[in-house]
Amino acid sequence: MAAGALARRDQRFGLLLTAPGLAALLLVVLFPLGFAVFTSLFDYTLVHPNHDTFVGFDKYVEAWNADYLPDALWTTVKFVVASVVIEFVIGFSVALALNRVTRFKNVYYIILLAPLLMNPVVVAQLWRMILHSELGIMNYVLGMIGIGKINFLGDPVAAFWTVVLVDIWHQVSFMAILLLAGLAALPREPYEAARMDGASAVQTFVHITLPLMRPVIAVALLLRLIFAIKTFDIVFIMTKGGPGTATDLISYFIYRSAFFGLDVGRASAMSVALLLIVLALTIYLYRYMKSLA
Amino acid sequence: MAQITLKNLGKMFPPDVVAVADVNLTIGDGEFFVLLGPSGCGKSTTLRMIAGLEEATSGDILVDGRRVNDDDPADRDLAIVFQNYALYPHMTVAENLAFGLKLRKVAPTEITSRTAATSRMLGIEPLLKRKPRELSGGQQQRVALGRALVRQPKAFLFDEPLSNLDAKLRATMRTELIKLHQSLGATIVHVTHDQVEAMTMGQRICIMKDGHVVQVGPPMEVYRNPADTFVAGFLASPPMNLLDARVVDHAGGLAVALGEARLAVPGAFNGAYGAWRDRDVVFGIRPEDMHDGAGPGGRTPLDVRVVAVEALGPEVVLVAALADGREIHARLGPGFVAPIGSQQRLHLDLGAMHLFDRETRKAIAQRGTG
Repeated sequence: MAAGALARRDQRFGLLLTAPGLAALLLVVLFPLGFAVFTSLFDYTLVHPNHDTFVGFDKYVEAWNADYLPDALWTTVKFVVASVVIEFVIGFSVALALNRVTRFKNVYYIILLAPLLMNPVVVAQLWRMILHSELGIMNYVLGMIGIGKINFLGDPVAAFWTVVLVDIWHQVSFMAILLLAGLAALPREPYEAARMDGASAVQTFVHITLPLMRPVIAVALLLRLIFAIKTFDIVFIMTKGGPGTATDLISYFIYRSAFFGLDVGRASAMSVALLLIVLALTIYLYRYMKSLA
Repeated sequence: MAQITLKNLGKMFPPDVVAVADVNLTIGDGEFFVLLGPSGCGKSTTLRMIAGLEEATSGDILVDGRRVNDDDPADRDLAIVFQNYALYPHMTVAENLAFGLKLRKVAPTEITSRTAATSRMLGIEPLLKRKPRELSGGQQQRVALGRALVRQPKAFLFDEPLSNLDAKLRATMRTELIKLHQSLGATIVHVTHDQVEAMTMGQRICIMKDGHVVQVGPPMEVYRNPADTFVAGFLASPPMNLLDARVVDHAGGLAVALGEARLAVPGAFNGAYGAWRDRDVVFGIRPEDMHDGAGPGGRTPLDVRVVAVEALGPEVVLVAALADGREIHARLGPGFVAPIGSQQRLHLDLGAMHLFDRETRKAIAQRGTG
């Protein structure tokens, strides 16, 4: 009984210590979330910003039927697949190469980490300046080697791929470092056994490295997938979803519904739906990681 | 099956760590050969150089007379069983066995029949569909062995494969490996730091120290005639008693002066040991060559003080101190009892004594010139 009382006292003390943190978290995370869910059930616009008109799930239906939603969804799918796949290929190649390096490893790490440490807004501004069609250094350099000016952010196709490439520049290190950590943790012995068994470098990669890395690869892909779906900053700074709807990712589409369409109710409904999708992915990821343990 | 020859084999790790130096060995076709030594002696590095997993920095490795230094591990046609088994964790037991054969493009029917035969021989048929993590240590060990057997290589290299097993299983596997060797007639190079393994399994053992070969020979030969104090002190448990002593004149012959005690050297050794008169030596005698009874005669008495009595069941190990405090171990019959601190008289069978040069630590020949 004494032990039980002791544990209870410990628990109460612990709660006391964490209370300020929990309160702050409640205020800045749970309250906006709850407010968004609540708002999504009302006809709340910036013209009439109040919760007077309860409309149930009407805003969800309205959001589903919104003009250009299919475009935004399709653009998002293209963006997520392109950036995550390319990041994976580059990241894995870099990780494989770095895994064999013994000298200057720290230097490579610092170079790799540099983009990750930068704020996405800074990254987007930087690239917007570099890629400016008239004043940017990129077109200047391209001009010197005889390539004509490219309208990186003005042409629909170029703009989409520019956004993808900037996202890759910013996030590929995340993939590389995660995969490198996985490679470094692989057991050495199966590789020696494979050498004795006569496996070539390619066979070793296919039959040993890939299967052993599967859990790490899955986690890296899912994490990047979740982040990529939520991409907002780059588009907001660089293209504002344009030209046309060429880079209109779902998060930017939601932002536009709220602050240009003025329909906060509908934007909230879409946010909640997006949250549920990301939540489902996260739960899947969590379960997968737990099944590995 | 194959003969493996090592000529002046050396391995240096940068910047200047000599792991193996100037090893010369010939391992006969079908021989069970054991590389024995403490950790860091270079035995595993030697094995890994034979396998091709480490590159030799000097010397030659020959398999059946052909130099294989520059061959890929796979092309040497040798199979290795690793200390921690090194099974492919994502493959089933059957896939683990078949992987090497598939890579060598062996026909599927052949793979099936060989895998079946090997798993039957090792009793791992019920495990074929399991993954390594679902197996016990002993079962993993068998699979690792199976993976080597199924390839039917020229020779097997065992890198301490029994060291991760518990004592009972290790004893069982020891017997099984001996039987396996007898039935296959294969060349086996077995690396171990366990002298019991070496003594029981090897047809010949090679004792290594600091990257050098110290002694090679059949186990009992090495046991009876250790080349130096290192070998004498490494084999058996408890090992040979090694005591600093001096050869002196005694009653018309020679004696070993051990503090105040004088142990008369058997007449047969007088010729050889005569050259060591009045010189410093190391006197060696095995614990089983000391007895608690005078016996039929010819034993030399030595008075000691009892420090500890370790009753092991079939025998008693007596830890005793000489007059000057130096401790020795004696292996006595199971009936021996004595209070700690009491004086006892041990009877030494000096026909089994050894003398070593105090400086070079090498054994001094008992017969022959002198």
